[in-house]
Parts: sequence; structure tokens; C-alpha cells
Amino acid sequence: MLEPYKKKYHQNNFQFILVDDFGAILESDNNLFTVQPKSLLQEYHPFFEILNSLLQINNESFEFSCINLDFENEILITDITILSQDINENLIIIENLTKHYNNYQLTAQTRNESIINSQVLELKNEYLLEKETFKNNFIANFSHQLRNPITASIIFSDLLINSNLNADQKNYLDIIQSSNKDLKNRIEDILDISKIESGKLTLNEKVFDLSKLLKDVTTAFKILANKKGLDFVFNLEDGLPEYVKGDQYRLKQIITNLLTNAITNTNNGTITLNVSLNYIRAKKANIHFEVIDTGIGIEASKIDAIFERFTKLDSAARNDKRIGLGLSIVKYLISEMHGNIHVESEVNNGSKFTYNLSFKLSDHNESIKEELLKYQVPKLNKKYHILLVEDSELIQLTILKILAATGNFYINIISKGEELVSNIINKDVDLILLANTIHDFSAMDLAASVRNLSKEYKKTPIIVLSTQAFKEDLKSFKRARINDVVTKPFDKKILLEKIYKNIK
Amino acid sequence: MATSKKIVLLGHFGVGKTSLIRRFVENTFSEDYKVTIGVHISKKTLKISEDESISFIIWDLEGQDDIKKTRASYLLGTHAFVYVFDLSRPATFENLKTEVNYLIENHSKTPIKVVGNKVDLVNKEYLTQYSGKFDDLVDLFVSAKNGSRVESLFSKLAKELI
Repeated sequence: MLEPYKKKYHQNNFQFILVDDFGAILESDNNLFTVQPKSLLQEYHPFFEILNSLLQINNESFEFSCINLDFENEILITDITILSQDINENLIIIENLTKHYNNYQLTAQTRNESIINSQVLELKNEYLLEKETFKNNFIANFSHQLRNPITASIIFSDLLINSNLNADQKNYLDIIQSSNKDLKNRIEDILDISKIESGKLTLNEKVFDLSKLLKDVTTAFKILANKKGLDFVFNLEDGLPEYVKGDQYRLKQIITNLLTNAITNTNNGTITLNVSLNYIRAKKANIHFEVIDTGIGIEASKIDAIFERFTKLDSAARNDKRIGLGLSIVKYLISEMHGNIHVESEVNNGSKFTYNLSFKLSDHNESIKEELLKYQVPKLNKKYHILLVEDSELIQLTILKILAATGNFYINIISKGEELVSNIINKDVDLILLANTIHDFSAMDLAASVRNLSKEYKKTPIIVLSTQAFKEDLKSFKRARINDVVTKPFDKKILLEKIYKNIK
Repeated sequence: MATSKKIVLLGHFGVGKTSLIRRFVENTFSEDYKVTIGVHISKKTLKISEDESISFIIWDLEGQDDIKKTRASYLLGTHAFVYVFDLSRPATFENLKTEVNYLIENHSKTPIKVVGNKVDLVNKEYLTQYSGKFDDLVDLFVSAKNGSRVESLFSKLAKELI
């Protein structure tokens, strides 16, 4: 009873072929494909060319699995067994497993495609990352290259404003100073974005006087707003903690960017900054900030876009010459400070930016006050010797002018790193100002050469004039026993503060 | 007179072994990727001179990321190996040296050609970046897509095998 089934489902899947030692067909059941007796099996498919070598070996069995036999009308996927015998009669058994292998083919196709796609994606990511790193490094290096000329431009225009100028000259200088400031801010924005993208922007928390910071910022913006014919209102709620711990530089940057944005987009009306206390909990003060303008407003559909990099809303009413990074930086900084920024706006009626930030309360208000006092310019009872090691003539001249104007310092300038040691030994040097790199020398190398001298030189204060001040740079400076860092572009006030702080 | 020579193509899956053969045998190319399972065998005869030609019996093996997994029966009676890798996928030449050394150790008398396929997809900078992985081993950079140096690969093999 089973025979018909076996014939249908089993035997029909096999073909048995007998060939001689040269591959000539002696007999075949032709179950799978038709061959003619006496013809060479090699003529039917190139796979059988292998018989030429295998049939020379007697009494061996060779098994080949998953052989695709493609004939004109169909493809059979088969397992083939070749039994070579010593009687000039060799058996070839072909088993048709097309269905089985086709199922496997589908699985393999999905698996391979998925692996290949993930490898290609990985490579693309790697490529994009490299491109991004290159871009960030380029921006950082390019921005750093601009720092020396900007520093000089800022300082010399500051010095010039106090000289005898007529009204026209003063006006021209005002424009130069304003342009300097704009340029400096734009470079700082680009650098910040490059730091954000490379994950190098970190917050630097210190205790600071919150109300003083807010008053300083608003004084400057009140003048700017008034110049444009706008009213400026600053509401500082009573009861805010005086001293808090946080990144004052970044807080100032957030407020500054938002106020600049408000003034730029408002042609008449009022700019308002409201600062109030939400609550004090777990030694932290949660403070509410609002920047409100009566400007041109933003369409609801475009509100999310204003925080994207290089986004500037296309409106004839906007007179914004900035490059569209400010709000993106604001959003990032607020989120780094664990806050959220919220925007309400109505076209032609103005916008309101609100956010809450938490600051640690400081328990040492008095000591902090003392600390802050130390930054005041001291009354010096003698003139100090400063050694400036800098290869940029522009920066040499800039620092020379600043220090000479105080009347408190003797200045010796050298342009070569290798001359540093000979200019210290047996000479009066109260403080060294050191460029970050001078030809082949780094500030770290040069600082080490000073610290390796005898004991009396180990405590000579060293301040590095650096084009970059990432966290890792500051750590390296500290390890090299460098006392302080002034980041370019700097202004007169910052440089003198650092010198007075370290010279003691 | 035609001499038959068995050529086996090896390498990871998706490196373009089937495409190389299709370009050589039929002078066609398809962008669609179809996984090879088991082995496909093709034949092409090259005329070497007026009275001499060579028939390549080309075994296109299913791709493996480890050469040791290749079924031994497929390699019986091989006259030459072509090891193919995909220049655009570093994973396919990550262990090239080990793979080629394995072939040399186990088939010392059989010529091997190492071929970087898909050269049309990469640029000079990329090749320089990864050259350390294949520079000492590779014989030819080819492109099954545009046919670059495919003919040259098999002509070289023909000369070595005659």
C-alpha cells in the first residue's frame, strides 16, 4: 500500500545515474532531468566536470550538498552523492531539495541584508562622526586664530577712548567698540556651539552675588533699550537669596541672549525682565525668570524652530544681524542647568520667554564677600616686575599698554621660549605671563622648566594667556603648577584682576 | 584545445562574488542582492591563443564570515581560489590575513587571488585609511558594477593556470 506514496513523495525526488570512469552515461532513471545514454554527464551541467578528477579515485564516496543545478527551464537545488567504484561503473545519486533550500534562502536573505545594512549604517555613522569632529575642530581652531587680533582691537579701542578725541572721532570709536563687541560675541557663540557639539561645554559652579549680576546685566541693557527708544523694566522680587552657587557666566549669557533677542525684535514698547523666587527647598532656591517684549512676535508654527541652530525667522520686520545661535545656546544651557524654557508669543504683540532655574544656597556669604573683595585693585606700595613670554607682537603691545597705564609694573618681554630660564635666574621676576604656545614650546613645557629650577623659583606666579580653556586644559595647567589662566580675547579688567590676585 | 580549470570564489556574504562572475560570464550587473546558498557553478571559455583556450568552471560559494566553515567537498579539485572582499565594508576584510593564511596553509599549491570589490564605491582617502588591513595581500581592486579589471582578473588566472 505504501509503494505508490513512496514513489510519489520519495523516489520522485531522487535521480540515479550510472556513469563510466569518463562520465559517459550508462543508465539513468531521469526522475529529475533527462539525460541520454552514452552522452557525457559533464555536458549537462558544469558541476559534473568534477567527475573528471573524482572518478580517477576508486571506491570512494563524495557528498556535495546544496548544489544549484540550473537548467534552461528550472533550477534544482540538490544534494549529490558520487560513489566511484573500480568496475567502471560509478553511481551518482541526486536528491532534489529545492523546496527545503528555498526556505533556507529566505531566512538567509533576511539575515544577511540586516547584517549588511547595520554594517553600512555603522560605517556611515563613523564617517559622519569624523566629519563632525573635523568641523568642530576647524571651528574651534579658526575661532582661536581670531582671538589675538580681537583682543588687541578691544583693548586699544578702550585705551583710545580715554585719549584726546574730538566728537567725530569718539563717534567712530563707539562704532568700532560696538563692532568689536559684536564680533567677540559671535565668535563666543560659535565656540560655544562647537563645545556643545563635542560635549566639551561644562558648567563651572561658583558662589556669586545674584542680585549684583542681575543689576550689572540690566544696567547695560537699559542703555541699549533706551537708545532704541524702548522702555526697560527690571523687576527683582524681594526675598531672593543674595549669594547662590551656580555658573554665573552662563546665567549671564542666558539673560544676555534673551534680552538681546528681545531688543532686536522690538521696535516700540517695553522690554521687561522679571526675576522672582518660586521656592526654597533642600538648600536650593528655585528662581523664576521672565523676559517679555512688545515686539513683532513669532508665529505659533515657528516657535520650536527658533531654538534650532542657524535658524533665523524670515521676516522683513526683523533687523537681526546675528547668526542664529543665541537661542540654541540658551536652550542648551537651561537644559544643562536642569530647567526648561517656555515661549508664549503673538504676532505683532510680542513674546514672553520664561524659565525656572535652581541654585544652591551659599552658607558662607560673609567669607564670599571677603573673597570678592580680594579681586579689587590693591594699592601697591612698590612696582612689580612682570615677565611676558609671548610671540604675538600684537599681544605684546596690547599688554605693554595695559600694564604701563597702571604705573605699577616693570615689564620685560621675550618672544622665544628658550630664553625664559635665562630671563628668570638672578633677575627680579614677580609674575610670569606666558602664552599658551610659543613656537615649539607649550605653556606646560615652559612652566615645567621654571618649576624645575631651585626652590626660590617654584613659587613665582605663572599666568597663561590661553586661546582655549576647556576643562581638560585647566586640569593640565593645574598639574603643571600654573597659577591662573586668562582666556583670549580678554579685556583690561580681566587681565589686571588676575595679575593683582596672583601677585600679592 | 580547451583545458578545464576549477576556480572557487570565497569571501563574506554580500561582497559581490556572484556579481563578479555574472560580469565575467554574461557581462551583466544587477543592483539587487540575492543571497547565494550552497554553490552555483558557471562555465566560461577564454581563448588564450589561436589553438589554445581555457574553460573556467567557476564555483560561486555561499558567503561565510569564517573560511573554516566552508564545506570541504566544495574545495575538492580546485585549481585556483579567488578570495573576494568588499572594500566598502571593513567587516569583510577585518580578518583578511587570517583567512588568506588559512587558505595558503591548507592549499599550498593552489594559486590565490585576493580581490577588493566595489572599488567604485570608495575614494582614495578611504583606501588610504584602511590600506593597512589589505595592502600586503590584495592583488586587484575591481568593480563588478562597472566591470573595472574583472576581465583582467580572469586573464591573469588563465596565464597562471596554463
